[in-house]
Amino acid sequence: MKPRTFTQSMSWLHTWAGLLLGWALYAIFLTGSLAVFDKELGWWMQPEIERPAGDAAAAAAAQRWLQARHADAGSWNIELPGERAPLLGVTAGDPRRDGSTLIDPASGEPLEPRKTVGGNFFFRFHFTLHLPRNLGIWVVGLAGMAMLVALVSGIVIHKKIFKEFFTFRPAKGQRSWLDAHNASGVLLLPFHLMIAYTGLVIFFVIYMPAALDAFYGGDRDALLRDGAPPMQASEPARGPGQSAAPAPLLPLADFVRRGEAHYGPGMLAGLRVNHPGRADARVIVQPRLGSRIELTKGEALVFDGVSGQLLQTPVPTRTSLLSQRVLAGLHFAQFGGYPMRWLYFFCGLGGCAMIASGLVLYTVKLRKQAKAPRRWLELVERLNVASVAGLGLACVALLWANRLLPVELDRRGGWETVAFFGAWLLCFLHAAVRAPMPAWREQLAGAALLCLGLPLLDLATGGALDGQRLGVDLGALAIGLLLGWAAWRIPAAAAQPRPRPRCAGAIP
Amino acid sequence: MTRLSLPSRPWLEISLRTALAILGGYALTYAFTAALARVLPLPRVDAVIVATLLSFVFYLGFILWSFAGVPLRRLALVIAVATPTLALLGFWPNLLERLG
Repeated sequence: MKPRTFTQSMSWLHTWAGLLLGWALYAIFLTGSLAVFDKELGWWMQPEIERPAGDAAAAAAAQRWLQARHADAGSWNIELPGERAPLLGVTAGDPRRDGSTLIDPASGEPLEPRKTVGGNFFFRFHFTLHLPRNLGIWVVGLAGMAMLVALVSGIVIHKKIFKEFFTFRPAKGQRSWLDAHNASGVLLLPFHLMIAYTGLVIFFVIYMPAALDAFYGGDRDALLRDGAPPMQASEPARGPGQSAAPAPLLPLADFVRRGEAHYGPGMLAGLRVNHPGRADARVIVQPRLGSRIELTKGEALVFDGVSGQLLQTPVPTRTSLLSQRVLAGLHFAQFGGYPMRWLYFFCGLGGCAMIASGLVLYTVKLRKQAKAPRRWLELVERLNVASVAGLGLACVALLWANRLLPVELDRRGGWETVAFFGAWLLCFLHAAVRAPMPAWREQLAGAALLCLGLPLLDLATGGALDGQRLGVDLGALAIGLLLGWAAWRIPAAAAQPRPRPRCAGAIP
Repeated sequence: MTRLSLPSRPWLEISLRTALAILGGYALTYAFTAALARVLPLPRVDAVIVATLLSFVFYLGFILWSFAGVPLRRLALVIAVATPTLALLGFWPNLLERLG
């Protein structure tokens, strides 16, 4: 880096931070946009399951099932079905350790839908890139910092940020790519800054444990205990023999009604029952995330399971922790219902467009320089094709694998993952052997065909069509048309180097 | 301290600067965050959360500054001086505990 002006330095930084982390960032943005609809995609991926009855009926069915089979268990866990996910899951013990049993809320019989990675695959990929969890979190955190660096340096190098906001010169090669990059970047700048920063805030003490180390010896639980609101109602004192006395549990449907009276209908995530069938039974009613922006994990109403008395209501979080939870909640987008989900989805796709157009812009500029290193240019072009178009194709391929793999296949979820990475790997191989322009066109066309075919696949292999599945099908159709249009617009060959009056940015 | 001569090859200059910005910057941010939590006039749980939330902004600013034309030697000097100073400010009670 030779001594240069401030703007030139920032331009250099923007180019390299954006390029080197751009491929990872694109993958994070695309899967993150899909993860906005993780539950809906999961519903689509288990077509055996139908829209359930209300929560009170579901809780009653769960109680009958648990009472019949696990009357002696120390605790019960019930995941209630919701607007976005139709599953009623029950567990005696710890759902994370023992796995939950799905039951049909209407008949009370166990259900066995196909095993699938579900929409959760996109959610996990979004923050781990399918690497080992801790390594993945750090790589994604690094990409998040690089995004902030690229955004701020991008603002600096835009002298005419307001004017360029209204500028679009289509079908003019490099200028159009620059305009597209600027427009998608500037238009959604608040979203991009917010999503990159709040993404880091979710794992804040993992990424920057300095203050935690200084004050709590690095113990995260100690920090949370210190920040937790004081318990309001103390548990009544009991003698040692008293706690085991058997006593009938009130119907759980009652607690669901009282929980809904507090949180709103359909706003309950689940119930936990400690010591069912005993005098000291406790019913803990957990709300769904999303009644507010704050990420309210762990909040609950606590009832006495025998008398029905309300023992504990959630207390407001202290301001500092509330700030962190609201920032994290802004990233998780569990508030505001479907309009908010669509807003995040489109903003996320706008981020994909910004990153992808930036990656393409780099190659378009480099190609015009007479003494550009050819091999480097070729490598970037090939990586661009496979990581932008190829990843899109792999995501749809996952949905196809979900329906085409035999339902009773052993380790089915693992095979779906294999299909995803297999399809992606094929895209890398394809991009390595084909010239860039045909490779772009063929991979985009492939992804378009898979998207356009998805509704047909759903009709051929799915059960009764409901609103949620129809939404996924129509979304795939729209994206397929968009990808098909993009594939159709790609010229047969790349523009050859020719002299240009000037470039707005700079390539080192 | 011996005089550092500026590397003549550009790739070496860029590698050093990147390493200083990302790794040195992280070390400096780590020390800064602990020191900030120590000086904030808040209960310790609030101080830890506020300082950590601000740490990303500090790190971002430092990385941008590292690439904004500052001479490499001054960049290295700032990290070498500020990191131990801030770390001492942030961790002196821990240090006393360790020693005593």
